[in-house]
Amino acid sequence: MDLFLQTLVNGILIGGILICLTIGFQLTFGVLHVIDFAVGGWAMLGGYTAYWLVTLAGIDPFISIFLVFALFLLIGRGLGPLIYRVRTSRYARPDLMALAFTFGIFLFMRGGALWLWSYNSRSVESVLSGQFLSLGPVTIPLMRLSAFLMALLFSLGLFILLYRSRFGMAVRALAQNRDHAGLMGVDVKRVSAWVYGIYTGLTASAGVLIATIYSVNPTVGIRYTLFAFFVAVLAGLGSVGGVLVAGLALGLLEAYVATYIGARYSLLIVFGTLYLALLVAPKGVLGRGI
Amino acid sequence: MASKPVLTPKFIVRAVLIGAIVVALAVLPAFIDSYTLRIATGALMWAGLACAWNIVGGYAGYISFGHSAFFGIGAYTTAILMQSDVGASFFVTLLPAIILAIAVAVAIGGPTMRLRGAYFAIATWAFAEMLLQLVTVLDVTGGTAGLSLPAYLNEFFFYYTMLIAATASFVGTWLLIEHSRFGFRIKALRDDEPAAESLGIRTNLVKVQSFALSAAITALFGSIYAYWTTYIDPHSVMGPEITDQMVVMVLLGGLGTVWGPALGAVLLWITNRYIWSTFGDTVIYLPILGVIIALVVLFLPNGLISLVVGRQRGKELISSILSKL
Repeated sequence: MDLFLQTLVNGILIGGILICLTIGFQLTFGVLHVIDFAVGGWAMLGGYTAYWLVTLAGIDPFISIFLVFALFLLIGRGLGPLIYRVRTSRYARPDLMALAFTFGIFLFMRGGALWLWSYNSRSVESVLSGQFLSLGPVTIPLMRLSAFLMALLFSLGLFILLYRSRFGMAVRALAQNRDHAGLMGVDVKRVSAWVYGIYTGLTASAGVLIATIYSVNPTVGIRYTLFAFFVAVLAGLGSVGGVLVAGLALGLLEAYVATYIGARYSLLIVFGTLYLALLVAPKGVLGRGI
Repeated sequence: MASKPVLTPKFIVRAVLIGAIVVALAVLPAFIDSYTLRIATGALMWAGLACAWNIVGGYAGYISFGHSAFFGIGAYTTAILMQSDVGASFFVTLLPAIILAIAVAVAIGGPTMRLRGAYFAIATWAFAEMLLQLVTVLDVTGGTAGLSLPAYLNEFFFYYTMLIAATASFVGTWLLIEHSRFGFRIKALRDDEPAAESLGIRTNLVKVQSFALSAAITALFGSIYAYWTTYIDPHSVMGPEITDQMVVMVLLGGLGTVWGPALGAVLLWITNRYIWSTFGDTVIYLPILGVIIALVVLFLPNGLISLVVGRQRGKELISSILSKL
């Protein structure tokens, strides 16, 4: 029973981070209608940036996460217009061209990271490393707890931005109908570019949190792209709310498989479940919309 | 269904051109050193693989990110049969490799190809990643340590085997797609699936057939590759880089064209080898691939072949492929 409870807590803590990883991805799909293959790449780069900041400047990852967010917000804002251009181009199927485009970006990030840093894993240390909180039978590493709370903070921030600001109103209007939003005076191109920026910022921040718990190496990008797809497919592509449940579900699935079946099988079962989920319910289980 | 007269002037010109290229390639080893021969062997392999991917990605209009799975199935079948107590000879292993690839393609093709566009891409990728994890944990595949095959150090043997396989892949898809009823069906499916269905074409069957054909060719090259390199591990034959290269080669050359995939494959492979010989053992090739694909999407969405056949025709071709995905 203790093991069961401990696994439950582990799963929930990881799930929180997966929510942060996927929530921006969903927003991008809702607004730009782009499935971004590079999602894991942004997370990986966020992890490496945190690693640099802690090694070179001694900035604790739980503080540098805000710097990472700001940095990748700007990078994504810069890249946004290109994504928007491909997505709204006159190609017969611009959505697949956009997919190919983000696939190219992902390949660039993954290959560039391999070239710069080879296959070595780097762990990101914090002042909280190695400290634990005991709650009865359950032991919680403070790193994981803080990462979880940080992920919730970022996700909450996104919800407040979406539902309590003029910008958020414009974003939701865009997600409903791009043409109508444009007619009502929304600067569609600019808002879309900022949405892409917010998405990259959020995903890179999630990457920092992941890096503090596990470690970061150039190949983790693929895994987190597939994890994001998993959560997004389960939640229903474009559904920001569904991510809350789907992220927890994936976190719990991974934790229980790792505990009761074996860690070496966890990815096999996770990807197998993703494949089956796509076949059974490609449109998601938890509804649609922003 | 009206069948085209086969011996049109265009057909004859193409057949003669292909014949001339094959003959030139057959005598090529007499003029080059063994290092260049290895590069040429690799170029043939990638040209054949690009043609295979193009059947599903280009002609049927289903962008697959899971073809590394079939390459790996071929490589592992050959490796397991050759290094085990059975001690099968190389050519004997080709048949089980191809049959296994077809069986897997039929089993997963049916349900997966009900998905459209990006969902299909994600599903095939998830499947390939699942298979990669599977060979990493199994004993029979040697886990992460991989498998060694009996070495056969005859570069000419591999060059000519690749040449035969690549020629069969190229000519086979060309004849099948451009000059057969199957070709009509697959193009009808790509251009308008409901209309094809209403004409009595069993679109599900055609989809699975094209997927199985593509998988079989991919597995064949996987088998030859395993014997050629004599050592395989999960990432060298099932890693995502295999699929990545196939996709980029076809997109660069021209999706859904006869010559495009081979052109893209040869160009990229030579670039790859040039980078290796200039900069040493480096992965700088991967980010370059990424940049190429982004630039192609932005500035040359119909691939290099559209520069040859004319932009307008290329555009129409790509539109008809992509419009009904």
